Amino acid sequence: MTRLSRCLSWCACFAFCAVALGFQANPPTPARELVSTYCVSCHNQRVKTAGLALDAADADHVANSAETWEKVIVKLRSRAMPPAGVRRPDNATYDRVASWLESEIDRAAAAHVNPGRTASLHRLNRAEYANSIRDLLAVEVDPQAMLPPDEQAFGFENNAEALSIQPALLDRYVTAAAAVARRAVGDPNLPPAFVRYGALKGSANDQNYLRQTERLGEDFPLGSKGGVAARHYFPIDGEYAFKIRLQRTWDIQIKGLNVPTQFEIRVDGKRVAQFTLGGEKSPLKTFIYDADDVLEARAPVKAGSHEVVATMLKSDDVLPEGPGPDRLSLYSRNADNANSPIAIAALLVGGPYRAQAPLDSPSRKLLFVCHPPNAAEELACATKILSTLARRAYRRSATDDDVQTLLAFYQRARATGTFDEGIRAAVERVLVSPDFLFRIQADPPGATPGSVYRISDVELASRLSFFLWSSVPDDALLDVAIRGKLHEPAVLEQQVARLLADPRARSSLIQNFFEDWFETRNVWLLNPDSTRFPWFDDNLRSAFVTEMELFLDAQLKEDRGVIDLLTSNETFLNEQLARHYGISGLYGSHFRRVKLADENRFGLLGKAGVLAVTSYTTRTSPTIRGKWLLENILAAPMPAPPANVPSLESSNKENKPLSVREMLEMHRASPACAGCHARMDPLGLSLENFDAIGQWRATDAGHPIDASGVLLDGTKVDGPSQLRQALLAQKTQFAKAVTEKLLTYALGRGLEYYDAPAVRAIDRSAEANDYRWSSIVLGVVKSAPFQMRTARP
Amino acid sequence: MFVTKKAISRRTVLRGMGATVALPLLDAMIPALAPAAATTPVRRFGVVYHPNGVIYDQWLPKAAGANFELSPTLKGLEPFKNQLIVITGLFSDQAEANGDGGGDHSRACGSYLTGVHVKKSDSNVENAVSMDQIAAKAFERETQLSSLQITADENSLLGSCDLGYSCAYSSTLSWLTPTLPLMAENNPRVLFERMFGSSDSTDPRVRASRLQQDRSLLDSVSERVNQLQRQLGSADNRKMSDYLASLRDVERRIQKAEEQSSKELPEVAQPAGIPADFDSHVRLLYDLQLLAYQADLTRVITFMYGREQTARPYPQIGIPEPHHPLTHHQQNPEKMDKCAKIQRYHIALFAQYLEKLRNTPDGDGSLLDHLIIQFGSGISNSDRHTHGPLPTFLVGGGAGTLKGGRHLVYPEHTPLTNLQLTLLNKLGVPSEKLGDSTGQFRELSEV
Repeated sequence: MTRLSRCLSWCACFAFCAVALGFQANPPTPARELVSTYCVSCHNQRVKTAGLALDAADADHVANSAETWEKVIVKLRSRAMPPAGVRRPDNATYDRVASWLESEIDRAAAAHVNPGRTASLHRLNRAEYANSIRDLLAVEVDPQAMLPPDEQAFGFENNAEALSIQPALLDRYVTAAAAVARRAVGDPNLPPAFVRYGALKGSANDQNYLRQTERLGEDFPLGSKGGVAARHYFPIDGEYAFKIRLQRTWDIQIKGLNVPTQFEIRVDGKRVAQFTLGGEKSPLKTFIYDADDVLEARAPVKAGSHEVVATMLKSDDVLPEGPGPDRLSLYSRNADNANSPIAIAALLVGGPYRAQAPLDSPSRKLLFVCHPPNAAEELACATKILSTLARRAYRRSATDDDVQTLLAFYQRARATGTFDEGIRAAVERVLVSPDFLFRIQADPPGATPGSVYRISDVELASRLSFFLWSSVPDDALLDVAIRGKLHEPAVLEQQVARLLADPRARSSLIQNFFEDWFETRNVWLLNPDSTRFPWFDDNLRSAFVTEMELFLDAQLKEDRGVIDLLTSNETFLNEQLARHYGISGLYGSHFRRVKLADENRFGLLGKAGVLAVTSYTTRTSPTIRGKWLLENILAAPMPAPPANVPSLESSNKENKPLSVREMLEMHRASPACAGCHARMDPLGLSLENFDAIGQWRATDAGHPIDASGVLLDGTKVDGPSQLRQALLAQKTQFAKAVTEKLLTYALGRGLEYYDAPAVRAIDRSAEANDYRWSSIVLGVVKSAPFQMRTARP
Repeated sequence: MFVTKKAISRRTVLRGMGATVALPLLDAMIPALAPAAATTPVRRFGVVYHPNGVIYDQWLPKAAGANFELSPTLKGLEPFKNQLIVITGLFSDQAEANGDGGGDHSRACGSYLTGVHVKKSDSNVENAVSMDQIAAKAFERETQLSSLQITADENSLLGSCDLGYSCAYSSTLSWLTPTLPLMAENNPRVLFERMFGSSDSTDPRVRASRLQQDRSLLDSVSERVNQLQRQLGSADNRKMSDYLASLRDVERRIQKAEEQSSKELPEVAQPAGIPADFDSHVRLLYDLQLLAYQADLTRVITFMYGREQTARPYPQIGIPEPHHPLTHHQQNPEKMDKCAKIQRYHIALFAQYLEKLRNTPDGDGSLLDHLIIQFGSGISNSDRHTHGPLPTFLVGGGAGTLKGGRHLVYPEHTPLTNLQLTLLNKLGVPSEKLGDSTGQFRELSEV
């Protein structure tokens, strides 16, 4: 860090000039006073530390240099500057000047609104695509299998800039359109195809460590153990095949055939097949390799989406769920031989066989808004069907052009096929249309370049539904938009409330917003070192995910204040996770709401998922945790690390193992590293009592844990609970972090300095409502960047 | 389970789809395809990428020239030694930080086929057209698919990518334009559908009508996109031009498929999805590559065992620890042994693929005789993120343009792009410069 040391040496000689700079005819503004005293010795036009020259910024009319001053506000609010070791303002001064800057900039911004410019072409990402298909046609698709992955930017996968358009993607859209249309219309000639569901949700790989000696969750029948539960979309009434694949060892022998096991397959809770396998000596040598070939059955199923479960019955000689001597084996990850417990690797659902001509599937109910009684009325009915679909799919009134285009597809296919086949061809055309696949935003005709305008009600409807549902607007929302009523405050508020109350809002926000924000989606990719954490299995992994989902769902459903994310003393646990947290008295695999006694576990910072995704595979990383906190909780993200950062030494010169704290202290001794680590490490170190998979610990490498530290504002903390208290003292910063993330997600673009006034306005109005989710969401929806757009310059 | 429908009933095939998803399936199919008529051998190119660098002393062969001795890592390539050229001394200097700080994994992969220093950005990526795409562009008139990008990694960009770098840099090698990375596919079924269409049928009439429908869909969509472009003006020009370019590419594929609709295609059953274990997954992905070359559906393929920083564990070979942390071994011999074991494992799977390529007739020789495959990594010493000397070898006869059985040693800091530039010319794509290249190699075909 030569730059810093150089800058520090400049300090002395610049102090004099700094005072001179502050000398003006008018009384100096608080901003000028502050930066002259504390900042310009490094951030001036000659030294330009971090590219920032505060002497060049307009300190009298700060709005003229808003981009610079917004950076200053972030540093002041987070107490990040001046660096430790040089003279710093007191806390009151920090806040007073920041508030003054904010109110000056906000006043100017109110007079000249700058909503920024969202992209003209905003591709649906694959989650949005799948949700839209579900809502338009009641067809469920697996977007992971159907479409290539989406690029992420600014923390989310719905960033318009990052979402690319490429040949392989268009190819997939064409293929997907054909598959979806065929299923929506229902084709009795649909060739049978198999879909495979692995036992571990969210993972394509079934080389997993999912223990299947217990009931796996609410989706499974009582008295069962292990298995797969999946929501499967059955395209048409017909017979379907169900196959169970068993887990194999590394040398592909089926596990656990030494004991007889009963299997069953259920569709919507109703048993459709039962088998018994294992326990006796098989006549065939290949039995150990292909015994599960017999686990196949067929059953008739009605079209639509159904819950399919393949599971095993617990044998009678095993204790029922409840207390017992160490029923959870500790080392499930070591069980890889033919005598390991039997487990289901996957459920395959295939079909249809003997499909029946479709009459009344959920898809057809949505799509076929009329049925032509005779040939003469076919065209009128096709027109009605296709204009209704186009309106929903394109999220606006269907134009004549739209309908004519679709009818041409209908007619060409009708000429050689049935009415249904005509509709099917036109549905394909809808699904490859840019009007469906992209959110298109055009400047109003004749807009003055660079002028600011309010987006149309129909565009607003799409913004709203993709924000809250990750999907297309429903008819009710679209209707008020097309009638031009949506921008009316009362109507808008009512629609926001309605959308938020829908369960789709919670599930899509949890999966697409929160899991990206907190990075907890990475729980699926965790790979804790099996020698250190042999008890980390996939049941525990799934439990991390379920806890977060249930916790966030409750927060949203009960419309809690966002601060509750940090403070809540309630969570959701099952036996395994409770044990992981050192809580006794909970039995069984099902999750229930639990009041926490230990303050260290309160809120997000006590969640194993969060603690694990911010750790390395072998150890904790206070730096990553600190960085995570700064970025996600304190709205003060760190700059990127410098080049050639040396990695930590895990032992000292005498080859004695070091604790993580000691390793970091060695690292921090280097001045190049000290500047940033002084901000990150104390935050992260105060969570050191939680190990790399979120378990409480008292020692690290034989040393007692020292979780003490001093934060940048001088607050002393020791341990997770005190850290939480310290963060609460800065709860406006947390509210800011929430709002910034939510606005980034809602707009699908990165935030710029000119968005800061909108963020502050949202927080001011939400503060009066204890920062309830509903008030922050409404604030985002009512904000200028959400409702307005700058025309092309 | 690529089987002729003549031999096995449909029911069996479908049963098979469920039961044998985990097995590599191509063997049964090979004899069913008549070898193409002998003409001028087709030139084809593949890249195989090993992520996270190597244990270099396990990689480096002993002695240079024709009398070199295969290293422990490369031992598995013994049967192909006469078509193997190991190349030592190549560097990817553009992957160095050059003032951009951390991010060696992203840069290693990002610049691997471009030889430029990629822009450090989360959302506005910038690179150069990659070497494989230059070749693909030259060959695109010949085949339905100009190229394929394949990966054995997760079909998701989650997880750790280098701070400040878009995950795109570490997840694909192929760049269609400087701003358009081509995402790699991991699902055999999706690849299969791209190669053979999704008509769920191999009946020529069904396929033809499907192609006709696809073509009308795209024509109609192109019309609408042109309309939109007028409406939106020059705003978001990049997205619009990507869109139009993609439409043209897919249209071309369909046109080509129509032209070639009378061509004999293997009657194959679709793979059901991603096989359960890595071993079978990789073998199936290699089988599909072979099939794509064999049916001449594409002539350019890039394949990655995983993206940079992949944390895949390899329990099947006794390595439950994740790969990336393991490669930061800090000279710990146990960890280094495990990294070397993973190298050997990747080579062993690759050798199985080579065996099949060698056994697949193509014109007057085999597919392997006509192919050039570049195998390597953009990181040399994984522990220290060095970008040279890069572990690199070529395999295949290159239709007579390569002379194998040698270990070529170049001076340190010879740009990797010199090799790729040479290969472009060998492939019949005249080129004078690629990224930071400084010249071509004469030695690939001479002794």
